[in-house]
Amino acid sequence: MKQETLLLIGVAIVWFVLAAVYAFAPSLGMPGYARVWGAGAVVFLILAAVLGTIKRPT
Amino acid sequence: MSDSQHVTTRRAFIGTLGFGGVALYGAWAAYGAAPLPFFHSRAFEKDNGITPHQPQAGEGPGGGHGAAGSMTPDDFLRRHEEFMARFRQPDGSVAVGSAEAPPAHATQLPVAGHDMHAMPPPHVDQGGHGTAQRDAGGTAPMHTPSHGSAPAHSQEAQPTDLYLLAYRFGFAPDDIRINSGQPYRFRMMASDITHGASLQLGRGSRIIRLRPNVVVEQTIVFHRPGPVLVYCTTYCGPAHDAMKARILVA
Amino acid sequence: MNMKTHSPASMSFTNRLAALSRTDRLLCGLLIGFALLALTLGIAYGVAMALARSGALSFLPDTPYRILTLHGTTAFFYWLYSAQAALLIVLAVGETKNGIALRSIAWIGAILIAAGFMLSELSALVGTPLLYDANPELGLDDPAVVAGMAGGYLLLAAGLTAISVSGIATILRGARTRADGFSALGFGLFALAGFLIVSAVAAVNAFLPNLLWALGYTPFPKNATTEWHILFHNLHYLPLMATVLVWYALARGLTGTGSITGASFSKIVFASYLVFVPPTSLYHMFLEPNLPEGMRVAGSLLSLFVSVPTLTAFLIIVASLEAHARANGATGLFGWMRRLPWANPAIANMVVAMLTMLIGLVFAFVLIQEKLAPLLSDTIFVPGYFHFFAVGTISQTFLAAMMVMLPAISGRPLWRPAILSRMPWIVLAGLLVFGASGIAAGFLGVPRRVVDISYDGAAPAIWPVLMALLGAGGVLFATGLAVSVYGVARSLIPARMPMTATAEPDAGWRVVGAPTAPAWTGLVAVVVLVVAMYAATIGAFEFMQALPADVSGTTGH
Ligand SMILES: [Cu+2]
Repeated sequence: MKQETLLLIGVAIVWFVLAAVYAFAPSLGMPGYARVWGAGAVVFLILAAVLGTIKRPT
Repeated sequence: MSDSQHVTTRRAFIGTLGFGGVALYGAWAAYGAAPLPFFHSRAFEKDNGITPHQPQAGEGPGGGHGAAGSMTPDDFLRRHEEFMARFRQPDGSVAVGSAEAPPAHATQLPVAGHDMHAMPPPHVDQGGHGTAQRDAGGTAPMHTPSHGSAPAHSQEAQPTDLYLLAYRFGFAPDDIRINSGQPYRFRMMASDITHGASLQLGRGSRIIRLRPNVVVEQTIVFHRPGPVLVYCTTYCGPAHDAMKARILVA
Repeated sequence: MNMKTHSPASMSFTNRLAALSRTDRLLCGLLIGFALLALTLGIAYGVAMALARSGALSFLPDTPYRILTLHGTTAFFYWLYSAQAALLIVLAVGETKNGIALRSIAWIGAILIAAGFMLSELSALVGTPLLYDANPELGLDDPAVVAGMAGGYLLLAAGLTAISVSGIATILRGARTRADGFSALGFGLFALAGFLIVSAVAAVNAFLPNLLWALGYTPFPKNATTEWHILFHNLHYLPLMATVLVWYALARGLTGTGSITGASFSKIVFASYLVFVPPTSLYHMFLEPNLPEGMRVAGSLLSLFVSVPTLTAFLIIVASLEAHARANGATGLFGWMRRLPWANPAIANMVVAMLTMLIGLVFAFVLIQEKLAPLLSDTIFVPGYFHFFAVGTISQTFLAAMMVMLPAISGRPLWRPAILSRMPWIVLAGLLVFGASGIAAGFLGVPRRVVDISYDGAAPAIWPVLMALLGAGGVLFATGLAVSVYGVARSLIPARMPMTATAEPDAGWRVVGAPTAPAWTGLVAVVVLVVAMYAATIGAFEFMQALPADVSGTTGH
């Protein structure tokens, strides 16, 4: 699951960065973007964590 | 993936080809519409004037720049009222011509414009508005007296201010007389909910969206005499289809 | 690297569906059946709308906007989203031997979606028309309908979340038992389910404030439009991701051909959907007076990447099919296509879906240029081009999936495959008429959301002519689509004597290892696409510059 976990972490980082841009640049005037992309980053991090805990049959 | 695969089935090839759409950047650059400075061609802007206003650094929505920036909805409504009072003609139309255009001339126009099937009025004195254009400086007195502070981002000619209010279900003014070849600064606002104030320019249109209590400012020069349909392009309720105005370009 | 086209396990997708427990089959059948019901209604409203716009039918002034609201609500929200819920569950259950996980949560999800559907539909039917975005501005005098539609959408979001959770658990159940963990499709579905959950968050962000206002708890939601744009961007991206996942599954299921570039590359492409979504979200707002110019410029540039995941997934699938066909002796540039298993109507659906995707992209890329937005946004250009995606690409792909799934689930063979195979071409013909007249009319300024465009004779005389053509095209593609829906829906009824054998992959080639043959079709498609994009964009710039007015200063403050 290593590749999958890394991909989801990568996605979460992109979403987090965008959320941060919207959150810390108030002149953009669109806090909804920060909320939604931020929530998305959390969701994809949780999914990555779920994958990280899976044990595969050996 | 084996090394013997043909190049067209390799990851690098397919992965690169997937970015094919990005190639459209070249077409944008050719028209000076590429969103990066080093491809920005000034030619496009001069040729067609579709130059968006360049905002000052750090400016955000609601952040001010120029007269319109600091214009509150109340300011707009007040100036709109003054504008209507100043330019309303006896026949109900609003004529915002050049300074020397006599009111009598304006009242003749409805005859020509009445039959408004997207055709130009029968006879337009070309020399007439050539003069208007040359004397464009003379339009300055037509600014509402209250328009004090920042001067307009000046083009060759000082634009004449024109106020357009959109409401459910109409425009005020809804019968406007202006001159071709002369810049007008359209200041537009929706007073209740979102509307459109799009301009049907013969072949195509200029689509304009108005959000309630947000003053939109566009400087427009009409090059062809004839009627221009102003129509609402954002659904706003039962009589939305009937929401229209007319600009008659002389 | 695990690639080698397919594993035997993946070939038995339909057999796995046939082996599902009765309760699982019931749930799968109900989910698909509900989606088809929404599509049927969506088509009916769409036909009424096409007739209204063409002037063939006249209604009371409010009625066309009510129909438009119902059409958007039903076709966009309930058809596309209940179909994705159904496809997620059915494709996920194909990844495991052990059936649907957290089945009771999936049932709750299905019930929530159905409840949301009834609430939204009823509100749109009796209340003030708000259009499908349930715009609270239009419901200032009728907050009850705002509450009803927002409430319906929130129930839909909750239902989608529940079904996504069940889908995720089902995929994990399969991944735990597979020696190689996730298949590419399994990971793609996993990412899709996550994306659906995020979109449910976006729906709460957009509709909860509207609901609270309508119920009298909070002041009017001033940012409703922006919050809607955020949700809408996710909502129109998601079905495309589901579409390429279905293409991937169909290529494997119908021809036995897996990705020629390997599973891990496919996983990267599926994950790239999620990477490219947030940065490409601004182009819906180019006409907004409040959007700063810097955002317009950045938004245009970033939107150039909007097609990357879809185009790459398309190229993987086409190259995989073509290389295998060529390795088995197919000749000519497009001769390999003759070897596709055309006997199954899902293939025609899929091929036409790919064609309409390419057509749709050409015009989508005109709209992502902010300087062209004032020419075409809010005109009939927009529905003119997006039906290539919504109907041609997405709806036909979802139907193709159901053509394969339902017979396996119910045991009833597909109704008249020969007739169903022709329908996508009728849909394509209708879309071409609809799209061409809509796009042309958009250039000429015909507004998107005005039904009576006469303006007392002030509008150009060609406007109604183009709208009549648009209506005719709409009726034509709706007819083809309706026949497809009928054919698929017939297989909802369980057979008394189930089919003994389900369809196995049946391509005109044998899949043996990784072929060394070339695959030129993808390259040709991208070259044609880019040339067409250039033509459309340059044409739009020239058209705009020829307009008899100079406009500057698109600022609003
Ligand atoms: Cu309106």
